[in-house]
Amino acid sequence: MKLNPGQIFLAAFLVNNIILMRFIGLCPFFGVSTSVSTSIGMSAAVLFVMLLASWVSWVLYHAMLLPLGLVFLRTAVFILVIAALVQFVEMFLKRYIRNLYSAMGIYLPLITTNCAILAVTFFNINYNFNLLQATVFALGTAAGFALAIILFAAIRERLDDAPISPAFKGYPIAFIGAALVSLAFMGFTALFGIS
Amino acid sequence: MNSKPSRISYLTSGIIKENPTLILMIGLCPTLATTVTARDALGMAAAASFVLICSNIAISAIRKLVPDSVRIPIFIIIISTFVTIIDYVMQAYQPDLYRVLGVFVPLIVVNCIILGRAEAFAYHHGIFDSFLDGLGKSLGFTLVLFIMGSLRELFGAGTFFGSPVLPAAYRSAPMLFAIFPPGAFLLIGLLKALVNKLGWGR
Amino acid sequence: MKDSRTWMVLSLFITCLISAFALSQIYNLTLPQIEYQRNVAGLKAAFGTVMPEADRFEPATPDSSVWLAFKGETRIGSIIKTAKQGYGGPVPVTAGVDLQGRIVAIKVASAAEGLKETPGLGLKATEPEFRDQFRGKTAAEIRLTKDGGTIQAITGATITSRAVTDGVRETLEKYREMLILQQEPDSEQ
Repeated sequence: MKLNPGQIFLAAFLVNNIILMRFIGLCPFFGVSTSVSTSIGMSAAVLFVMLLASWVSWVLYHAMLLPLGLVFLRTAVFILVIAALVQFVEMFLKRYIRNLYSAMGIYLPLITTNCAILAVTFFNINYNFNLLQATVFALGTAAGFALAIILFAAIRERLDDAPISPAFKGYPIAFIGAALVSLAFMGFTALFGIS
Repeated sequence: MNSKPSRISYLTSGIIKENPTLILMIGLCPTLATTVTARDALGMAAAASFVLICSNIAISAIRKLVPDSVRIPIFIIIISTFVTIIDYVMQAYQPDLYRVLGVFVPLIVVNCIILGRAEAFAYHHGIFDSFLDGLGKSLGFTLVLFIMGSLRELFGAGTFFGSPVLPAAYRSAPMLFAIFPPGAFLLIGLLKALVNKLGWGR
Repeated sequence: MKDSRTWMVLSLFITCLISAFALSQIYNLTLPQIEYQRNVAGLKAAFGTVMPEADRFEPATPDSSVWLAFKGETRIGSIIKTAKQGYGGPVPVTAGVDLQGRIVAIKVASAAEGLKETPGLGLKATEPEFRDQFRGKTAAEIRLTKDGGTIQAITGATITSRAVTDGVRETLEKYREMLILQQEPDSEQ
């Protein structure tokens, strides 16, 4: 099915939401979503790195790996690109944009092992996206990540005050909350999607 | 008095006491995404176990040669090599399974269990101990995936490894909720609550 | 020596080299089998139930919605793929068509393969009772009885039934020329 950029954005944002529908990026989802402010910081860092990683990996794949017949190095090259990119962004922000660094600096190292970033670079290749589509897809995915994690942080802030039986405190109730949010997102599946 | 932990504990600690998924809460993505059926779950577990055990052995074997400052990039390259190997082998010999697992096979490379064990264990221990540690953690991971996959398949389709278990009346209108994403979140929530109740990992 | 600057660079370089070499070997080793799975075995698994006689398939359209089915060198029919909007999402259908434009068999994706219809109602589209009605039918006949055709809708799931029926018929009509054998089979390569 051919999708226009608007549809790709919506699909990545809601229908195929990376966390709640695809189960990618769960570690930061549960690890960082303890308060709304940290969720926003993490989301900003993800958006930034996801866009950069999409561009760099797309260009590398189509300009280097594919023409040279080195597609089997894809996984290794992409993960190294992301690791290097995160280091570079961190150094750059620390040096030149202190405000931004203090806002999202502490989340950057966590991003290297955030599977959402790597997954997006793979999807860009698997779906045969061109550079524009890949950009839109990365934007949509990052927005979907932000929506899910911020929405969920708001729920968890309230859960802290709720009377919950000790066995369910912490992760179990968070999972059950995620089940309900995910149930709500299933309402979007009837629209359309990328697969 | 020997205060060193016994070798057998390297193997067993990963199964329950330090179970990667249910106690350390890492490697959640495949636990939820690739457990629609028991077969998918075991396939994913086998792939991840292969990578974990091999990379543990390889890293432990070269640990004396690896400079501290570049150890992480070297770990990543080694892990991604094994991931790519299993990726191509599955594509060639288990294409149906590969189609279901999809992007989660290359994503093993960012599974925190593997890099975590490389850094925390294999880099400081001998080859045999690292093998035991990798095997133990793999068994723990496999156990959780298998439980998730079996339960979701049983409720969501009424089958077990594809063969019918529950009556035909149930199978024609099964509880599809179990194989959809919300069912996965709910099930792991209940499992974690059970683990808390039993007091494992304390 | 372990922490010298030269060794730092050299060790990274050696790791990369070994890794790249190992991967190129694995790639060359598995490539023939992967190609075989993709072109032969995988397609046979996907299309075998709707065109049991065929042993080889070739894509006929760039979007892979129509495939030509061969037995040996002889063309014996086509495979069409369609996914029309149902009640809960698209309903993916695969259908085998013979050279007279008659349906050999159809297959509706199961819930595990992504069908999102209501259990007990729309989900019954995957069962033989509904599917087998399509056997031997041509495009003109493939319509629900209540739309003037010959296919009995599933009780309580008209929308799903219609998605399957209309999807198959529309694809048949759209690719009519491609599905039935071209006028001069000898002039084909």
